[in-house]
Amino acid sequence: MNQILEVKNVTKYYGNGSIVTKALDGISFSVEEEDFTAIMGASGSGKSTLLNVIATIDKVSAGDILIEGRNLADMREEQLSGFRRDKLGFIFQEYNLLDTLTIGENITLPLNLKKVDAETTAGELNRVAEALGVADQIGKFPYELSGGQRQRAACARAIITNPALILADEPTGALDSANSRNLMKTFVQMNRSLGSTILMVTHDAVVGSYAKRVLFLKDGKIWSEILRGERSRQEMYQEILSVMSALGGDTDVC
Amino acid sequence: MFARLAFRNVKRQIGNYLIYFLTVTLTVALMFAVNNLIFSSELKRFSDMNQSLKDGLILMSMFIALIVSFVLGYATSFMLKLRKREFGTCLTMGMTRKNILSIFVLETMIMSIAALIIGIILGLFIYQGVMAVFSNLLEIEFEFSAYSSKGLAFTIVLVCIIFLLASVTSAVYLKRVSIYNLIYGEKKVEKGVRYPALWWLVAIFSFAGLLFCMYYFNKGLDLSYTDLDRSSRNIFGSLAGVAVCLVLFHIGMARSAVHLFMKNKRFCCRGTNTFTVRQLSGKLGSNSVIIGILAFLIGFAVVLVNVTFIQKVSERVELDKRYPFDINAAVQRDNNQAIPISDGIRIIEKYRKINTSIEYQTYYNGSDYFYGFTPWSGEGYEGITDVYMKESDYNNLMEALGRERIECGDGFYLLASSPHIAQFDFSKAVIEQEGKEYHYLGIIEDAPFNYWGYFIVLVPDRLVSSMEVESDCAAIDLENGSFDVRSMNDELSYVYDQTGNDEFAYYRSDFDIKEYVRVSRNETSAVLVVGAIYMAVIFVFLAMAVLALKTLAGLSEDKRKYEVLFRLGTGERQQEKTLFCQIFSFFFLPFALPLLLSIPTSCFCAKIMHMAGHEGHLKEIYFNTGMIAVVLTVVYLLYFLATYLISKRNTVYRI
Repeated sequence: MNQILEVKNVTKYYGNGSIVTKALDGISFSVEEEDFTAIMGASGSGKSTLLNVIATIDKVSAGDILIEGRNLADMREEQLSGFRRDKLGFIFQEYNLLDTLTIGENITLPLNLKKVDAETTAGELNRVAEALGVADQIGKFPYELSGGQRQRAACARAIITNPALILADEPTGALDSANSRNLMKTFVQMNRSLGSTILMVTHDAVVGSYAKRVLFLKDGKIWSEILRGERSRQEMYQEILSVMSALGGDTDVC
Repeated sequence: MFARLAFRNVKRQIGNYLIYFLTVTLTVALMFAVNNLIFSSELKRFSDMNQSLKDGLILMSMFIALIVSFVLGYATSFMLKLRKREFGTCLTMGMTRKNILSIFVLETMIMSIAALIIGIILGLFIYQGVMAVFSNLLEIEFEFSAYSSKGLAFTIVLVCIIFLLASVTSAVYLKRVSIYNLIYGEKKVEKGVRYPALWWLVAIFSFAGLLFCMYYFNKGLDLSYTDLDRSSRNIFGSLAGVAVCLVLFHIGMARSAVHLFMKNKRFCCRGTNTFTVRQLSGKLGSNSVIIGILAFLIGFAVVLVNVTFIQKVSERVELDKRYPFDINAAVQRDNNQAIPISDGIRIIEKYRKINTSIEYQTYYNGSDYFYGFTPWSGEGYEGITDVYMKESDYNNLMEALGRERIECGDGFYLLASSPHIAQFDFSKAVIEQEGKEYHYLGIIEDAPFNYWGYFIVLVPDRLVSSMEVESDCAAIDLENGSFDVRSMNDELSYVYDQTGNDEFAYYRSDFDIKEYVRVSRNETSAVLVVGAIYMAVIFVFLAMAVLALKTLAGLSEDKRKYEVLFRLGTGERQQEKTLFCQIFSFFFLPFALPLLLSIPTSCFCAKIMHMAGHEGHLKEIYFNTGMIAVVLTVVYLLYFLATYLISKRNTVYRI
């Protein structure tokens, strides 16, 4: 398998002067192609900061992040924009669909930014909308859809450019349990059938149990790692719970 | 407690309120300057501004205050909507609507008082500037002008009215809106426009209507010498039509243009075009009526300033053309109340030494033969008779002016007051006397004196021998230098009472003093020019302020959207470009067509000048129109730029 992401000794400080917070403390790990990795940890452990620096929307204080062998630190602002557009897909907790655009327009926006021609765009829209079950909704506006449907539309938008890495920040945060389960099944489908590489931040053990691998963060460091291997999702879930209780038990488990 | 909270809020919201505050301040400054002008003691001293003109200006000031309060009321409710989540949260915490309104009204009051104070300080300087322009227009030396307490009081009253009306708008909104809408209202999506195709048709028909009204206006101008009733019907009807079509065109365009772009798939799939178009769609659709009104205000400003400037040029040119001599007298023989020429000359000599005085007569024979070739004869035109002048008298005047003599020979000319007379065919006109025929030789537009009437028949001397003298006339040139022209005019005037009934008596002078005409016209045109510029500036300010506030009101929502764009890979430069297109299109829509109205306006003004025989000054008209358009565009771009830069700082997402 090709290595998609390599995080090398990444450190991130916030603040200046006498008040400095160390959000990430020398983190190193890598993600391979078609991997589905979850990052878990308590509030303030550095999960979102890690996702933001990988997403190139925040800068590291020290260390390197390589995506498909390219070091993000070597890229200028315009190159980073192009990189985000071509190589990364995003799924946010609040869906972040633009409410003035229809679902179809939201999904095709990344292709428009790449200036893909209208015919190819229409073909790709059909492909991902069918795959994620939002084909009937493409003419509607976000406010006309349920939370689950909106999040599936956001997933479609994230995968339409066939990105090297999909980054999901608490994707089930705004969904009820049934919709959360459905979304996770969609993630698994994206990972297995469409070959998407996913890096997801969550604090929910059930959501984390769908991943092939879980990294646990504590105080800005990787505290533990679980690989699913041949285990069932239920077994993975139990394993996550036991790590979390060892971790301090201050994360949500239900 | 509320006062402290309101003070703190104003301080915190200063960025949001900046454009609103600047607009109110500038409006107050202009109002203060113009109100001081209306009640200025200097103006009373230098000009004979009559009461009706003054009343007109006061009415205009009040009318403008009403428009300002409408627009600022609209702007205030915007500021309220911008913070509805904050007020919604306050309501859930137990504050009453009355409390919220008190805080908001207090905030508005703090800003209004600050704007009033700064506006008046600014107005102190603007007033001196306005007086300098006024003095220049009146051709008197500019001196420091004293301020009027009445002007100050009038301004304060108007600002209070504006503040009250603006507060009422906010109160009505706060009374009606639900807490849910206050808290979640900003998440509400602006729904698409219904029947965009219909609105597109409205836009097309309105544009066609606009062109038709211009054609109709043009026709009205053509009729102005032949059928005054129809002409004024055409002119006023078409002007009203232009206003209605302008508003409807913009409403139609605002509700349909974006949908046309959406139909173009190739356009939409390029970069952030879909995003830009959708951003505009919501904004234009829900603001179509105000965009129509703003377009009307800007269009009105463009036309008004152009017409006023051209009227000023036309007046100056006309004065030189119609009054080649300093004084032109025409005393009718049958008017026994008139001051005779000889007495008039004695009065004139008291004021200024006479250099040249040429006396001559005009004649009549009681016939309206020549008027028979025009529409001004027959029923309704009884009493209009042809007036004649001797060739030798005419040539004496021409010689004094250093112009070429003419030879009538066996023919006659028509001295026309307007080149429009040339449209009537006099070629068949013949004067027969003592078995001899005198034929029409043509029209002379360059008359050496001012006269009331459409034309005078210029004939060989022998032809007037059998006619009666209609008027005794004199063309007088004075020695250079200033004199008390008002007193001279007063002394040359008398009460004329044709019917013997006091009701119809009026003050009249048969001695047209060029300087007096110039000074009187200057007074009127100075008031008109200053009034028109004032109105235009206020309208343009308001239009721009509303557009700017509309844009800034959506900043928090836009910021979230631009963040999504950034995450999806839109670089800083492309975000800036997208934002520029979004704001520019919003600003451009109500501005473009009204500005383009400068072209037909200048063409019509040129036509009016041409009809009045002032072809030589067309360049000046086009120059004026161009300058007005440039100034408007520059001011507009400044507002746009300020809005864009504020939006860019707050919206474009960067690490």
